[in-house]
Amino acid sequence: MAEVLRREVVYLITAIVTVIMFIEFFFVGTWNVAEELRTWATIIANISLGLGAVRLLSEHAKNIQKRRAGVWPFSIWLWIIFLITILSGLAGYVTTHDAMKNPLYNWLFRWPYTSLGQTLYAITGFYIFSAAYRAFRARNIDAALLLIAGCFVILTNAPIGGVIWGGIPVIGRWFLDYGQAPAMRCFLIVAAFGMLAYGFRALLGRERGFYGEVAGE
Amino acid sequence: MPYPTAPADVFGLWVAWLLMLMIYSYPLYKENPVFRFAEHTYIGVMLAIMLVRTSITTTINMVAPPLMKGRLDYIIPIVLGFMMYFLLSARYRWISRYPIAVLVGAGFGLGMRGVLIPNILNQVISTITPPATGAGAVDWWNYIYIAIGTICAVMYFVLTWEHRGAMGYATRLGRWIIMIGLGAYFGNTVLFRMAMLSGRAQFFLQVLKIAPM
Amino acid sequence: MSEEELTFWEKLARIDRRVFYWILFIGLMIPFIHPIVFPIAISPSTRDLYEGIKEMVEPGDVVVMNIAFGVDAWPECMPAFAACTKLLIKEGAKIIFWGAYYDVDMTYQEVLRRCEDYFKNLKYGEDYVYLGYYPYQEAAVAQLAASIRSIFKTDNYGTPLDEIPMMKNVDKATDIKLVLSGDTGDVCDYYIRQWRIPYGTPVAEIGIAMLGSSYMPYYRSGVLFGMSVGVRGGAELEKLIGEPAEATIRMGAINISHILVVIAVILANIGYFASRRK
Repeated sequence: MAEVLRREVVYLITAIVTVIMFIEFFFVGTWNVAEELRTWATIIANISLGLGAVRLLSEHAKNIQKRRAGVWPFSIWLWIIFLITILSGLAGYVTTHDAMKNPLYNWLFRWPYTSLGQTLYAITGFYIFSAAYRAFRARNIDAALLLIAGCFVILTNAPIGGVIWGGIPVIGRWFLDYGQAPAMRCFLIVAAFGMLAYGFRALLGRERGFYGEVAGE
Repeated sequence: MPYPTAPADVFGLWVAWLLMLMIYSYPLYKENPVFRFAEHTYIGVMLAIMLVRTSITTTINMVAPPLMKGRLDYIIPIVLGFMMYFLLSARYRWISRYPIAVLVGAGFGLGMRGVLIPNILNQVISTITPPATGAGAVDWWNYIYIAIGTICAVMYFVLTWEHRGAMGYATRLGRWIIMIGLGAYFGNTVLFRMAMLSGRAQFFLQVLKIAPM
Repeated sequence: MSEEELTFWEKLARIDRRVFYWILFIGLMIPFIHPIVFPIAISPSTRDLYEGIKEMVEPGDVVVMNIAFGVDAWPECMPAFAACTKLLIKEGAKIIFWGAYYDVDMTYQEVLRRCEDYFKNLKYGEDYVYLGYYPYQEAAVAQLAASIRSIFKTDNYGTPLDEIPMMKNVDKATDIKLVLSGDTGDVCDYYIRQWRIPYGTPVAEIGIAMLGSSYMPYYRSGVLFGMSVGVRGGAELEKLIGEPAEATIRMGAINISHILVVIAVILANIGYFASRRK
C-alpha cells in the first residue's frame, strides 16, 4: 500500500491534472475545476518558493555550528543581515500591509540589494569579453559563420557600425530580421515537439525525474 | 534623477558604490575576503526579500481573504505547499511528490496545449506563406531562405535516420543555418552583457559626480 | 618555450585576462564623461511596438504592464519599459502593473520615479494600479487570464479590487486591451500561450537583447505585435516618443564596448591563423 501511495497515486494525480488542464483549452473560461486547480498550483508554488531559502540558510547554520574554516564568519554575517532584512520587512507588512513602507527594509532593498544584484549580473560582461578573445576562433566553416553573423550583429546593435561602413547595419539587420529566423523558428518547433513528447511520457508515468526519485527508493 | 540629498540616501548611495567595488575586486584583482563579504551580504538580503515577498506576504494575501469567508478548501493547497518541504527529509521526501505532481501536471497540461498553435501551427503557416503579390526579388529570396532554412534546421534534429546522402547535405545546410542563428544570438548576448556592465560604469561615475545622475 | 621565443601573437594570447577587464571597464566610462552620439536607426520590431500601441490604445483602455525582470536587469530593460509606460499614459490608457519577480516592488517604485512627471497628474486606483507579485508559473499566468481576482484578492496595499474604481469591470483577459511584458526569462511565452492564443489579447515584448532572437519567430508570425530588443530598443523608443533619456546616453558605452569585442575577436583570429601557419 505504501508503495502505491509513493508511486502510482502520484503518477495518477499528475496524469489527471495534466488532462484537465489540456482539455480545458476547449472550454476556456467555463470550467471551474480547472480554474480552481490553477489557483491551487499557484499557492503551492508560492509556498514552496521558500524551500531554496530554507535549504541555503540551514547550510550556513551548519557552517557556523561546525566552525568551517574561512567560511563561518561570513555565514554569521549572512544570518545577521538576513534576520535584519526579514524582520524589518515583516514589520512593514504587519503594520501597513506593504513591507516597502518600512524605511530600513526599503533602504536595504534600494541600495545594497539593487547595487549588488546589478553588479553580480553585469560581471558576465567581463567574461564575455575575454571569451571573445580566447574562445571565438574560425576553426571551421561552422565557427566562421557564427563569427561573421555575430560580428555584423554586434556592430549593427552599436550605432557606430553604420558610421564605420554604411553596409554594416544593412547586413546586420538582415541577420537579425531574416538570417536568424530559420534557426530560431526551428528551436521553437523542435522544443514544442519535445515538450509534447515529454508531457505524454509524464502523463503515462514513464518520465519521473522531476519527482526527485532516488535510485533504489 | 537628482543626486540624493537625504542623509540615509547619500549613505545608501555610497554603501551601494562600495559594495559594487567589493564585488568587482574579484574579476579586476582576485578572490578576496572583501568580495566574499559583499557576496554573502547579497545572499542574506536576497533570501529575506524573496521570503517576505513570495512565501509569506503573497501567500497570506492569496489565502487569507477566502479562508476568512469560510472557503476551507483553500487549506488543501496550503497543506500541499508545506508538503514540499519534506524534500529536505531523506526519509519522508516521497511526501513532496504530491505537490510536485500538481505543479508538474498543471505545467505540462498548460504547456502542451499552449505550444500547439504559436510554436507549431503559426510557425509552419508563417514559413510556407509566400510574399504578397508584387513582392520584389529580395522578399522572395528571404522567403526561400527562411523556408528551406527552417526545414533543413529541423532535419538536423531528426535523429531517426542517419545523416548521410541527401539527408546529409540537408542537415549540413541546417547546421550552417543554426550557426548563423547562434551567431546573431551571440551578437545580442554581447549587447545585453555590455548594457549591464555599462550601467555599472555609469553608476561608478555618477556617485563620484563625474557623470550626471 | 621561453618568453623570448614566443611570437608577438603568442605573447598577446597570454596576456592576463584582468588586463582586458580593466580596458573594458575604463573604456565603458569614457562615453559618460565625453558623450559619443551617433544617429540611431529604428528597427521594424520597435516601430511596430510603438505604432501598435498608438493604434490600438484608446483613452480609458486597460493595459497590463507585466514586470518580469528583476532589479538586476534595470540597465537593459528599464529604459524601454519606462518609455512604453510614458507612451501609454500619453495615449490615455489605464495601467495595471504586476510582476513575476520577487523584487517587483522596487522595480515598480523605479518606474514611478522615472516617469514622475507623467504620474503626478494621474490618480492611483483610477488611472493606474499596482497589484504586486504573482509566482513565476504558467498556471498563475493562465489563471490571471481567467480571473485576476483569483490571484489578486486586493491590490498591493490591501484594498479589495472591487473597491478600486478602474478595476470594477476588469477581471479577465478579455477586459484587457493589451499586455506589454518586460522580460529577462520566458514569462512572455506564458502570455503568448495563455492570453494571446486562447483570448486573442495582443501581446508585445520588452525584453533583454537575447530575447530579441528567441522571440523573433513569434514576432515574424504575428503572434507578438511588436518587440523592443534590449537597451537598443529602449534608445529607439526614447527617440520615437521624443524624450532621449538613459538608453540614448548609454549607446555611447555600447559603441565602445562593441568595438572592443569585435577588435578582440579579430585579433584573436589573426593570432590563431598566424600561429597555425607557423
